[in-house]
Amino acid sequence: MAKKKKNRNVAIVGVGQTQYSSHREDVNQPEMIHEAVSLALADAGITIDDVDAIVHGNMELFEMVHQPDLWHMLGTGGYGKDSFRITTGGTTGATIACAADNLVASEMYDVVMAVGFEKLQEGHTTGGITNMADPLWSRQLQTGALTGSTGYKMEKEFGEERANRAAMMYRIMMDKHACLNHNSHRSFGLDFDQMDDLMENSPRLVGNLRLIHMCSQSDGCCVVIFASEKKAKKMAKPPVWVRDHITVHREETFNIFGFDENYPVPMTHRFAAEQLFARNGIDSPVDYFDVFEMYDPSGWWGADWMKEFFLFENDEHLKLIEDKEIMIDGKMPINPSGGVTAANPIGATALVRVAEAALQVRGDAGGHQIPRDVNHALASGFGGTMWTVLMMLERELNW
Amino acid sequence: MSDQFGIKVEEIFDTMEERFRPEGAEGVDASYGYDIQGVGKWKLTVKDGQMTIEEADDLGDCVAVTITDADTFVGVNIGQVDAMKAFNSGKFKVDGDLGALGQTAKMFTKFVSGKKEMTVGDFIQDMFATLEERFQPKNAEGLDVTITYDIQGDGGGCWTATIKDGTCVLKEERIEKPTVRLEVGAADWVDVMLGKVDAMTLLSAGKAAIEGDSSLALKLGEIFSKYIAPGEMAEPEQELVRLKKVISVNHRFATGPVMGKFLQGLKNKKIIANKCPECGRLQLPAREVCAICRVRVPGVVEVGPKGHITINDIAYYASPDPLTGETRETPYGSVNILLDGCKGNETFWHLLRRDQIFEVEESWNEKKGTRVRPVWAENRVGSIKDILYFEIDK
Amino acid sequence: MGKRVAICALEQVKNEPDIWYQRFQGMLLDCLEPILEKTGVTFDMDKGIRNVITCSDDVFDARTISDSGVTDVVGAHFRGEEKMAQDSINGLGYAMACILSGHDDVVLYMGHCKESQTESRYMNTNLAYDPFYMRPLGIDFLSANAFQARAYMEKAGIDDDHLAEIVVRSRKNAAKNPYARENEMVSGDQVKKSPYLADPIRELHFYPVTDWAFGMLLCSEERAKEFCDNPVWLTGYGSCMDSYFPGDRDIISNFALKNAASRAYSMAGVKNPQKEIDLFELADQSAYQLPMWAEGVGIVDEYTGGKWIEEGGPDKSQVNLSGGMLNGNPVMLGGVARVAEAWYQLRGEAGDRQIKKPKKALAHGVTGAMGQHHGVVILEK
Repeated sequence: MAKKKKNRNVAIVGVGQTQYSSHREDVNQPEMIHEAVSLALADAGITIDDVDAIVHGNMELFEMVHQPDLWHMLGTGGYGKDSFRITTGGTTGATIACAADNLVASEMYDVVMAVGFEKLQEGHTTGGITNMADPLWSRQLQTGALTGSTGYKMEKEFGEERANRAAMMYRIMMDKHACLNHNSHRSFGLDFDQMDDLMENSPRLVGNLRLIHMCSQSDGCCVVIFASEKKAKKMAKPPVWVRDHITVHREETFNIFGFDENYPVPMTHRFAAEQLFARNGIDSPVDYFDVFEMYDPSGWWGADWMKEFFLFENDEHLKLIEDKEIMIDGKMPINPSGGVTAANPIGATALVRVAEAALQVRGDAGGHQIPRDVNHALASGFGGTMWTVLMMLERELNW
Repeated sequence: MSDQFGIKVEEIFDTMEERFRPEGAEGVDASYGYDIQGVGKWKLTVKDGQMTIEEADDLGDCVAVTITDADTFVGVNIGQVDAMKAFNSGKFKVDGDLGALGQTAKMFTKFVSGKKEMTVGDFIQDMFATLEERFQPKNAEGLDVTITYDIQGDGGGCWTATIKDGTCVLKEERIEKPTVRLEVGAADWVDVMLGKVDAMTLLSAGKAAIEGDSSLALKLGEIFSKYIAPGEMAEPEQELVRLKKVISVNHRFATGPVMGKFLQGLKNKKIIANKCPECGRLQLPAREVCAICRVRVPGVVEVGPKGHITINDIAYYASPDPLTGETRETPYGSVNILLDGCKGNETFWHLLRRDQIFEVEESWNEKKGTRVRPVWAENRVGSIKDILYFEIDK
Repeated sequence: MGKRVAICALEQVKNEPDIWYQRFQGMLLDCLEPILEKTGVTFDMDKGIRNVITCSDDVFDARTISDSGVTDVVGAHFRGEEKMAQDSINGLGYAMACILSGHDDVVLYMGHCKESQTESRYMNTNLAYDPFYMRPLGIDFLSANAFQARAYMEKAGIDDDHLAEIVVRSRKNAAKNPYARENEMVSGDQVKKSPYLADPIRELHFYPVTDWAFGMLLCSEERAKEFCDNPVWLTGYGSCMDSYFPGDRDIISNFALKNAASRAYSMAGVKNPQKEIDLFELADQSAYQLPMWAEGVGIVDEYTGGKWIEEGGPDKSQVNLSGGMLNGNPVMLGGVARVAEAWYQLRGEAGDRQIKKPKKALAHGVTGAMGQHHGVVILEK
């Protein structure tokens, strides 16, 4: 498809994240947001007066607050400012990043602050996710976001042993990354020699999806500040340029469980990747990108979706996992932050992927920084009925 | 012995009897095993609101056996180790019924080590013995002061703390002109230190007196960190208020003509799909449009009611139904079924008969899964629950 | 600024008290089909709609991710979709940004809300208040607005008679609007006798429960002629957030609306709204808000709302010819309902409500009670 010319360049100039945890009982919602906002402003070296607009997003039924941006303005600093609220379920964090990019690129605003937030301990997460199902029929069947169907498919394609080992290896590598990220909610210190034990003994959730594979429910807030090229270049830290983004949704009902190769299931992940990379002239994503912060709600999905995002056809993704090339010092680092299994404050999670990718490009990720130049970064968001959002970040303005 | 926490594993078990809460054990008749690696094995038996705990080699008849190491076991019991984290990382294993083990949490009050009755005098001695280590130099910058604690009555005494150059030295002595002198009864001072009463209340009631620099007296809470009695865990700085509330607002959902036909069909023991006029795919349940072709889908098509299973997602963890708050019994089988008349991914989503969930086969390409048929509820109202479940079509 | 975006199509269902016979999916489809037909737009990834903005609310839909239910019908299968989770007026600002940013040429914007679905709008909006202080006090958007009403009415010299007049006028205008909720005509006396919901707001002073849905097609200036002969131009947008706790605010200052309006005027190059703008559509959820928002957008001097009503100000400035939100639009969608009126008026399609050759219009929407967040757009022929 044709690439549209961006009206003007936009950069990420500030990032702020709270400590992600299971219970932030010491703060209420606006207070928690304020923590991340303060950190982001300090990171960008600006004050709230320099911000023109706020874009807010979360999944409000988890906290059961109607129109939460009205209350949260106490923490976002939105008083007197233009303020948008855009939500898309799990992809929300990425959506508000895309929205902030659009708002700044349009010239309607110079500096936009994206605020992604969730306080999951204030509700019941799986119950809340089940609430997305149509109340007339599927709500009585759904169990949150849990399914063993991906594992089933991978076992059939690659064999039970290989598939399970790959998913578990992926999971362990994500945990190793999480141990390097002081913001993580969960980091267990898992080791590869625990694999057999975990594969056998970690309690099952659904099918072969086990507790150890699955993401947590976390409390947390992530704030990312976007600025126009002119303003970004004046700010202290190197700006991280937003090159392009794409959002791909899919129909409400899961028409995807036939498991018949005569009826292949198109994945929004692959479609988004195909469209985005084609219009940006990228032939081999696995060679082009230096880091991929992928929204991986479980070890199974993380492993499976590598195939879609990198546009593989066979078992290349399993090989990358088996050769540990997705680790921080590998050929194609994935989630140096630990990914979604390390922390999942849903409204923020997809934004955290963008934030972490930006930190990598900037060389600022501290303990979990990739030990070489990061010029091209990719971040993904996931949610809804298998929706995808992808965003590309660049170190130089040279495309 | 837990090296990490300085508490013997045996203490946890030895105190079980005094910590037992019979009301939490109502209706329980079971044994629970504890295999603490490198230390020993214990068996807890609960029956008729009574318990026994004994060392035991054979834990075979236990409904659940906890297998862990001393540090983890003690740590979890004193709240210093997060149980979920230990469980997830494999440091804390359970052989058997996890749910049943969970019930034991209600049967015991929290373990507190070294609990012995302390007298007022004991507390006073301990408070002053720990004063120097509780000193916070960063909150005493630039201070050059002396503070005399004149504790009156049984168990009391007189101590003076000298704070200078970021250090604090305490001596059991009285001096001439301290910067500030606090005069208070021993029992009252213990209550203040334990947080049972606040100092201002004592002052107002005339039960305590301050001589000298009273603003310094007000800063004592910052200059010295909070006193923690032996065996007590550090309390949070501030009491946090948590509000628990279940929110419920009734809604009336319209079904519309298309979904309405689907639900009506169920009432009449029919499963209704509709067929896209462009691509020909069937949609279950019937829907207003074909999302792929973006066209309205007219008419309806009856499918099934029998078909074969494509996937049987066995759920071991159930979430509460947001409409009713109930949780399904686990394990249960969440199945997708390719009903007769459907092809490819036109599957129907429902539940499998619980006693058959380990008997069915799934599909893969040419291989078709087990054939099933719906079991209808006697009283049907036009809801997905008019089908109770699907069962093997024998 | 000078940049503008075209609205090429706008369709809506009729505002009704209870669309029990359709799900919102059906309502949206009724809006989309005529758009596709009239404009010939497709969902082609190169030339057509590749991004859809929707507007709906999780709490009022009783559905986490309320936009997942609309994906199919708005054509967003394997296309982008982003949900505007505030009053719909802000979706126009966002759509404008999507197009001016260069990311998308053509944007479909669709919204729905069925207030009839919930047992109580008040229980829903009570949830907008913090769980510790205001929520347990039982405050909701109605009672909060009542506070503002009392304070404003005192200051602006508005009484029960003025409010009655506003309601009567609203119904008269709505009767000429084929898309407006059909309400019975009422006399001033009937309004003054209607029971109090929350003093001073009487039942007839408050917008009634309504179901509605809309669809719009927006596109870049360069491509407008592909889809439409007489587009309406979106030339200005501004929004502003006020503080949250009523005690922290000067609730009659119109702080947020004044800022939102001035930002929109600035973007559209409007210097004298009273002179330059031919019609104003203000989201009056309650009768007192008509003069209050009129002050906020700068066509009535501060705190002279009472006099303005007495002097027939609303007719003179051509405010709320549609009947306004007061006649009935669901929460979240009040803003676009105002845009709809501007659309018909600017294109000369407003039938019995038509004013003479309007060139510029202002449409407004509000989110939250006491006007905590306002959005304003300027539309031109």
